[in-house]
Amino acid sequence: MKILVPVKRVCDPDNANKVKVSADGATVTSDGLEWKPNPFDEYAVEAALRLNENAPKNEKLGETLVCSLGPAEVAQTLRQALAMGADRGILIDATDGQLDTTVVARALKALVDKEKPDLVLMGKQTVDGDSNAVGQTLAEMLGWPMATFAMTVSTNDGGKTLTVGREVDTGVLTLKVTLPAVVTVDLRIVAPAGIKNGATPADHKYNEGARYASLKGIMQAKKKAIDQLKLSELGIDTATSSAYPKFELPPARTGNCVFVETVDDLLGKLRTQAKAI
Amino acid sequence: MIEWSEEHKAIAQAVRRFVEDEIKPRRQELEFGDTPPYELLRKMIRTFGMGELQLARFAAQIEREKRGGGEPAAKDPEASDSPESWRARADAVAMQIIPTIEICRYCPGMVTAMGVSIGLTVGTIMTRGTTAQKERFVPALLTMEKIGAWAITEPGSGSDAFGSMQATAKRDGAGGYVLQGSKTFITNGPYADTIVFICKLDEGNAAKERKVLSFILDKGTPGLTQSKPLRKMGQHSSPTGELFLEDVRVGKDRLLGETEEREYRAGAKETFSSERTGVAAMALGIVEQCLSLSIDYAKNRVQFGRPIGEFQLIQQKLALMEVARMNIQNIVFRQIELAGHGRRTTLAEASAGKLYCARAAMEVALEAVQLFGGNGYMAEFHVEQLCRDAKVLQIYAGTDEIQTLQIARDLLKA
Ligand SMILES: Cc1cc2nc3c(=O)[nH]c(=O)nc-3n(C[C@H](O)[C@H](O)[C@H](O)COP(=O)(O)OP(=O)(O)OC[C@H]3O[C@@H](n4cnc5c(N)ncnc54)[C@H](O)[C@@H]3O)c2cc1C
Repeated sequence: MKILVPVKRVCDPDNANKVKVSADGATVTSDGLEWKPNPFDEYAVEAALRLNENAPKNEKLGETLVCSLGPAEVAQTLRQALAMGADRGILIDATDGQLDTTVVARALKALVDKEKPDLVLMGKQTVDGDSNAVGQTLAEMLGWPMATFAMTVSTNDGGKTLTVGREVDTGVLTLKVTLPAVVTVDLRIVAPAGIKNGATPADHKYNEGARYASLKGIMQAKKKAIDQLKLSELGIDTATSSAYPKFELPPARTGNCVFVETVDDLLGKLRTQAKAI
Repeated sequence: MIEWSEEHKAIAQAVRRFVEDEIKPRRQELEFGDTPPYELLRKMIRTFGMGELQLARFAAQIEREKRGGGEPAAKDPEASDSPESWRARADAVAMQIIPTIEICRYCPGMVTAMGVSIGLTVGTIMTRGTTAQKERFVPALLTMEKIGAWAITEPGSGSDAFGSMQATAKRDGAGGYVLQGSKTFITNGPYADTIVFICKLDEGNAAKERKVLSFILDKGTPGLTQSKPLRKMGQHSSPTGELFLEDVRVGKDRLLGETEEREYRAGAKETFSSERTGVAAMALGIVEQCLSLSIDYAKNRVQFGRPIGEFQLIQQKLALMEVARMNIQNIVFRQIELAGHGRRTTLAEASAGKLYCARAAMEVALEAVQLFGGNGYMAEFHVEQLCRDAKVLQIYAGTDEIQTLQIARDLLKA
């Protein structure tokens, strides 16, 4: 199966408290912070690699493409996915200011039209913007079936359809989607038996989480191709449809701690003093 | 080489993630329990495919040996003199050095355990063994499926390793040998599966005139006793023990090289050099970690109304740590570059590098403890452990004094 996985770099989520807002409130600055692949995107790469391999035989069964939109440095993020085992990268040169959900979805649609993957597998959301919207928008633009928040994926009908277990508030909702399709993944997709592809034995247990790149994988990633494209070359409407007028940090916590005797007391204080409810 | 390449950085990042996810959470049990480090080391070797890489290099070398030099195999990237070969050789060394640095940031003892097994034990078998012995003992050591130990030190014989050596081998009259002796301070001694035992051939002659030979022993060989781990100051994640040999009978296939003509002392310089160069990477890991912890602490610890990093005496500590870090890193880069060019470090250079790096690591670690004040003395703060761990770099693989002697001897020899 040919799988396209879009990957975004985000500020190290473990140091998110170091993010600052510029003096005029126009931008969020990430100076001095490390970039990491968005964790959900890493899970999507892992899921794609699992779908496309016979794990015990260490055999590849399909092509895994990774792509990213951003400045030239996102090549690093793509290299990490290539080191894990993805086959080829595509970098669409763009600045953060040029991108929003709609533009990213349009760009991905243009890539899908060109590359014709069987499946677009992506993170359910990025941990910076937390919009949770690109996958859904892309599926709509493509007119493809979609399954979001996937925690399990198995292939059926000789790879023509997928059964996707979706994590929803009320439990697990199982959907069958016909390929080509868009699937967005949640954390549990990288559980030891989240993926069944008919080739890796059903009782195979993967390590929890996204795989580490092997040393050989890292050295080989340098030789794998990363195609470079410009946003303007995709032939898409590049007008954004959302804008952020101003950023501000939440007010600093006072550190005051009030003990209450009863639940009613608590509710009263939340209503009158904190005005939280 | 003036900087790590992008791939080197990617390797460091990947290993660091492993160290933080797998080793850091177990630091307490490795440090204060009796958990040996081997399962974690095996897991790391598996995770990063290090065993496969090592086995591939091993296979290529055996192949070269069997062909008796000659034309390199078409697929062997390290066999020729082209720039690609240099890079391949340098990268192969960098791929061993980078994990060493990263693990040493948390657990230098694990590197000691791994280095003695894969570096020293394998290294000795590779330089002295017959091809058959290499094929028999080395592959399982490279994946750490088996643990190796290398035993030269004895209760009465340390710096003067060959001169004072008491352990003996006597011919048994049937082509084999009977081994006697006791060894101490042996890294991995308590758990080792494969032991290189260095002793003197007793032909009824005076101890001084005896030839030095080396043997390979398996755990469980009758007459061989492996002690429990000894309690020690630092490097708790590296088990150190004693070995006792009483009438241990071995065949000639256990004599490294399978000939008495290869005197151990003749090639000992190579073993000592490689052991000494390994210390630089260990020192770099310790120094990098001490420095980054110290910078953080200097920024956040407030006394007299300001972060202690604003006091010049604290700034001086940080600056000197950085100087040491740069120097050690340059020594490591030089090692990688030399390996790329297929050049061995001379013993004097290896000694000079080891002397500097070991001292610098100790000084930096002590200064880090000082910078942390009372917290620096508390086990809860990592610099306390790194400081205890660093000390041994000045003792094993030749003490500072022995390195100094060797450098001076080289300067004065002509
Ligand atoms: C944690 C640890 C792990 C070890 N692992 C191994 C191992 O795996 N295998 C192994 O065989 N050994 C191992 N050793 C032993 C180590 O190599 C020796 O401890 C070291 O070589 C010093 O020998 P010694 O302890 O007998 O000290 P000594 O040789 O007794 O030295 C005592 C002091 O005298 C000084 N000194 C000695 N000779 C001279 C001289 N000529 N001039 C000036 N000063 C001198 C020394 O520098 C030192 O300060 C290990 C040691 C430790 C601590």
